[in-house]
Amino acid sequence: MSDVAAHRLDPEAAEPSARAALRGPDGPGRDMIGPAVKYIVLSLAAFVSVFPFFWMLVGTTNSSYDIVRGKAWFGDQLLVNLGNLIEQVDLPRVLFNSFYIAIISTVATLLVSSLAGYAFEIFRHKWRERIFAALLLMLSIPFAALMVPLFVMMASAGLINTYSAIILPTIANIFIIFYFRQATKAFPHELRDAAKIDGLKEWQIFLRVYMPVMRSTYAAATIIVFTLTWNNYLWPLIVLQTNDMKTMVLTISSLNSAYTPDFGVIMVATVITTLPTLIIFFLLQRLFVQGMLGSVK
Amino acid sequence: MTTAFRRTLIASTALGLVAGAAAAQELTVWAWDPNFNGAAMEAAAAAYQEMGNPDFTLDYQEFAREEIEQKLQTQLAAGTMDGLPDIVLIEDYSAQKFLLSFPGAFEPLTDVIDYSGFADYKVALASVDGETYAMPFDSGVTGLFYRSDLIEEAGYTAEDMQDLTWDEFIEIGEAVTEATGTPMISLDINDPGLFVVMLQSTGSWFFNEDGSLNIEGNPDFRAAMADYQEILQSDMWTQVNSWADYQASLAGDVASTVSGVWITGTIKAADMSGQWAVAPIPRVAEAENGTNYSNLGGSSWYVLASSDDKELAFDFLTSVWGSDVEFYNQILVDQGAVGSLLASREGDAYQEADAYFGGQEVWQDFSSWLGQVPAVDYGIFTYEVRSAIASNIPAIADGADLDEAISSIAAEAAVLTQ
Repeated sequence: MSDVAAHRLDPEAAEPSARAALRGPDGPGRDMIGPAVKYIVLSLAAFVSVFPFFWMLVGTTNSSYDIVRGKAWFGDQLLVNLGNLIEQVDLPRVLFNSFYIAIISTVATLLVSSLAGYAFEIFRHKWRERIFAALLLMLSIPFAALMVPLFVMMASAGLINTYSAIILPTIANIFIIFYFRQATKAFPHELRDAAKIDGLKEWQIFLRVYMPVMRSTYAAATIIVFTLTWNNYLWPLIVLQTNDMKTMVLTISSLNSAYTPDFGVIMVATVITTLPTLIIFFLLQRLFVQGMLGSVK
Repeated sequence: MTTAFRRTLIASTALGLVAGAAAAQELTVWAWDPNFNGAAMEAAAAAYQEMGNPDFTLDYQEFAREEIEQKLQTQLAAGTMDGLPDIVLIEDYSAQKFLLSFPGAFEPLTDVIDYSGFADYKVALASVDGETYAMPFDSGVTGLFYRSDLIEEAGYTAEDMQDLTWDEFIEIGEAVTEATGTPMISLDINDPGLFVVMLQSTGSWFFNEDGSLNIEGNPDFRAAMADYQEILQSDMWTQVNSWADYQASLAGDVASTVSGVWITGTIKAADMSGQWAVAPIPRVAEAENGTNYSNLGGSSWYVLASSDDKELAFDFLTSVWGSDVEFYNQILVDQGAVGSLLASREGDAYQEADAYFGGQEVWQDFSSWLGQVPAVDYGIFTYEVRSAIASNIPAIADGADLDEAISSIAAEAAVLTQ
């Protein structure tokens, strides 16, 4: 049984034929112009996507005036900018808010949405596909249309200006439910059958078999949900009302709204805001691969 | 009733009273820009405390301008007042939109504030059907800021810069650009700010009294647009691509700019003391009531009808913002904020000569121009019409027929304001 599963989940097993297909019938090195053009286009695209990050990093070390004037190399204003940011913003508090909201949201969303995705795929019910289709339809409702009723709901629950008001609406994330359902299609049903024969209850199967096997899916979903909640702007803006509840993203927005914005300070704040999502991405990228290779052992 | 229980009851009642009393001395305020609006509000709170209200506290919450509008709009539409502030800052261009869309949401202050002491045009911006809803705050009274050294280099004097028409200004501008190699002004072709200033200086606006569009067939609009087209087709300007870019251009790249008084801070940041001066802006000569005075930007304080502490808010606003000349002088010095209370000009700071502007008494000048800004009604859709104008600027700059361009603006504006 576990051989079958390992084979299904092991990317190496599928690789030789895929490589052969990529190589094509002529083999490598025949045509140099094609690859040259390809690399030039790719380099240009890489430059276009990397340049804003470079600009952001350069900006942290320059004064606002130099940034506006288009200075494109590093200066010596990093500590000044950082000092100004710390003076203007209660950084530990704002970072705590951002992390607290993003982490709780991510854990809760993964738990609830993966349970839902698992249930949608594993259990059969005559209404299953209809309910699922209805859910997917709801994805197309723009958030702006939900904002006012959601606000009324939160206000009547007494949750305005609380973390819960931001976290609760994110938990049943339709896209993540869909994502888990799709991924669950690759989950070997034999594993569940075997676990049942071994006497595990459904929740035990979910915790001890499903979750470890689907580690890679959880890792990818973590990246998606964490980034979404970390960068969430509109809803926190509407529902938070005091400075001590603000997230990093909201803070950058108010820094930007000064009549004479200090772009050096804004760049430092932007880098600080970008770092956690970057770190999570790189950490989980490794786990993603590990999960793929060692999910069933 | 047991003694213990009674004691607890008394204690908790007393606690409740203390908490209530403390809460009654606090006002929550939403505004943007902590260094300008926020700092001015903090200064006002300090002034109010010194007036014999030592327990007064200000709870200042910072949001961007568009964020405040978005939050207000959502909450007022939802009909829940939870957590709304007592006082909120709203930009003058958006004021009518809120007052007309959410009647009853803001407290009328007509009986609370003596508006005769404020610049007329600021009062008009916050008035609907005879009721006025705001404590007027900073003014965007305009000036023609110019580099006295460059003007001189081209053979002109400060006298030549007074009360110009736009034709005269363009003539001087082209001569200065040619003689010094420095463009006379910088313009962002996506931002019709200069045109908007020109239009208000004629006493006209985008709308009739009933709110309908007043673009096609409005002689003042056409006259202002004709002057604007002449500027765009002259050789005296350089293109800037953003607000930040524009601000940077003031540090040596241009010989002049037309803007609101609040740009003074940016100009003074450039370390060019003695090289700048200010004059009234040029006027649209063809307009019937053309003046050399106008306005750009500015905002005012509104009291929300949902506030629990309206009486405190009224008292705070009237005793500091409504009459305290010393306070207005302080925020002029510290924040460069020019309020709309006409009596402020009597204060010391307003009478001082400014070395940066070659010893000119700039604040006296601005405050006399302030009283002469023509009052217009910004209506609900100022930003929509602005964007209709902006999308036609490139064609106008290319020499499009003026009447056709105005028809095109009117058609676009009609769609946007439906």
